[in-house]
Amino acid sequence: MPRLIGVDIPNNKKLEYALRYIYGIGPTLSREIVAASEIDPATRAQDLTEEQLNRLTALITERNHLVEGDLRRSIAANLKRLQAINCSRGIRHRRGLPVRGQRTSTNARTRKGARRTVGVMKKK
Amino acid sequence: MARSIKKGFYVDPSLQDKIEEAQKGGARKPVQTWSRRSTITPDFVGVTFNVHNGKSFVPVYVTENMVGHKLGEFALTRTFKGHGSHTKK
Repeated sequence: MPRLIGVDIPNNKKLEYALRYIYGIGPTLSREIVAASEIDPATRAQDLTEEQLNRLTALITERNHLVEGDLRRSIAANLKRLQAINCSRGIRHRRGLPVRGQRTSTNARTRKGARRTVGVMKKK
Repeated sequence: MARSIKKGFYVDPSLQDKIEEAQKGGARKPVQTWSRRSTITPDFVGVTFNVHNGKSFVPVYVTENMVGHKLGEFALTRTFKGHGSHTKK
């Protein structure tokens, strides 16, 4: 199986779909890259030649798209900055609550995780 | 939607005056303000603000990282003390 940008091993799907396995490349970017690379979109990832792989890597790097580790790092840095300056968004991130003003009385399960029941303890 | 760049950052005119005053004077007293809606611009850096949170003033020391945020983001308006405190007695 071919390797692109470090450790990514997209499988034997068509190029456009295989590229999406890279963190930071979604449908739009994937389509753009395939169009710009002038490789037949029907090629399976496993049939790519060495030269084509190099061309894809070059395309992604020269367009300055953050992918994989770099992207993850930049996201983490953003979160860290927000938390360091003690702004409301940072605090919401720290507490694992929704950041953009959503209600928390109900819902907000994505951020808060699975329900934890808080029982009322009886006075002893 | 984001604010148009053409207009620039929004800073309350009255607050702008106070900041210019504070930056001129060497010894810095905190600038008291109710203007939570003002964006922090680079000339805010190094000034301490007392930002109103609806009840009292919260001291906020502005650093470089805070530029582009609003003053109100640093003075929370709600207090959450946790659930079930009445049962823990």
